[in-house]
Amino acid sequence: MGARQSMRLRLYVADGAPNSVLAVANLAAICKAHLRYLFKLEIIDVLKFPLRALADGVLVTPHLAKLSPAPAAKIVGNLNDTASVLHALGIKP
Amino acid sequence: MNLARALRLVSTGPERQALKAGEVDAVIDSASGNVFLLSQAKRALSSAGGEAANGLLAALPRQTYLRLLTEMELVPLTRGQVLYQPGERIQHVYFPNDAVVSLLAVLELKALEVCLVGREGMVGIPLVLGAERASARAMVQGTGTALRMKAASFRDELERCVPLQRELQRYAHVKLLQARQAAGCSRFHRVEERLAYWLLMAHDRTTASGLQLTHELLADMLGVRRVGVTNAAGELQRRGLIEYHRGDIRVRDRKGLEAAACSCYRTVKTLTG
Repeated sequence: MGARQSMRLRLYVADGAPNSVLAVANLAAICKAHLRYLFKLEIIDVLKFPLRALADGVLVTPHLAKLSPAPAAKIVGNLNDTASVLHALGIKP
Repeated sequence: MNLARALRLVSTGPERQALKAGEVDAVIDSASGNVFLLSQAKRALSSAGGEAANGLLAALPRQTYLRLLTEMELVPLTRGQVLYQPGERIQHVYFPNDAVVSLLAVLELKALEVCLVGREGMVGIPLVLGAERASARAMVQGTGTALRMKAASFRDELERCVPLQRELQRYAHVKLLQARQAAGCSRFHRVEERLAYWLLMAHDRTTASGLQLTHELLADMLGVRRVGVTNAAGELQRRGLIEYHRGDIRVRDRKGLEAAACSCYRTVKTLTG
């Protein structure tokens, strides 16, 4: 089996708001359990950097973007539903 | 911003679905780039200033807080829910955001409230002091959310994280002082003063001004008969300090209520600084 490619993720949050807190915690748990160290995660607080969100076409937070490997994907919401997050990211549980 | 306005900005797609499911905090107007916080998120943030809503977590260095966050999950706590019974092995510790939990000493069939834990504190102090089992019943008094951490992870963190240790030992000390004060209070102070004290403590621990409390519950909390609570609440209402309607208590005159409370409120405030 070849070396697995690292997954690049970007999570847009409103820092400190309940769903965003939940999304960070849920994503951290998913990364720890399923990606080990094979991921790069950038967290963007739209309250501090609204233009980043606008430029990237983000309409609501929390919003998780999978940038690579292809196919790109987006997941909106607090990431409570682990199964559907894994599915959207293309990770086999 | 209310939900109806947010829904007008986001008309389609998974964004709208998440919005309807209550899983969204903020909406970005694609025309102006303005970020609008939904009312619920705004309420949570206004008490937290963008930092951790829980006081103990907010007092930690940012990096420590963010690391702890990866070990925690946000859980809803609903009124009446029992988190621990005395003697039970503690499975989780809880850092309330806007939930309020009361710790009750259980004596035969009666329960007497020992202290309230809200956004200033943590439920699960026995673990900080090296015990594994709950010594009191922990029951949710005010519905809200809390960050929850597994007991095993918490013990690991406590061992290696000095800022967390320091913060929680200080908090455990405060709780001991409060319990000592409460013992004297229930023996020497009048029901009306104690009710005022209890309402102030509850008011300090919630973000909303209204508290859902029945006479039965208050009687249990204070260890007195229902009629005692009815009289005391009636008196506080007559003096315009609180408004009481079908188990919904609103604090009308905070300063006046402080003056009506027994000296315990000031003592505990001073000790805990």
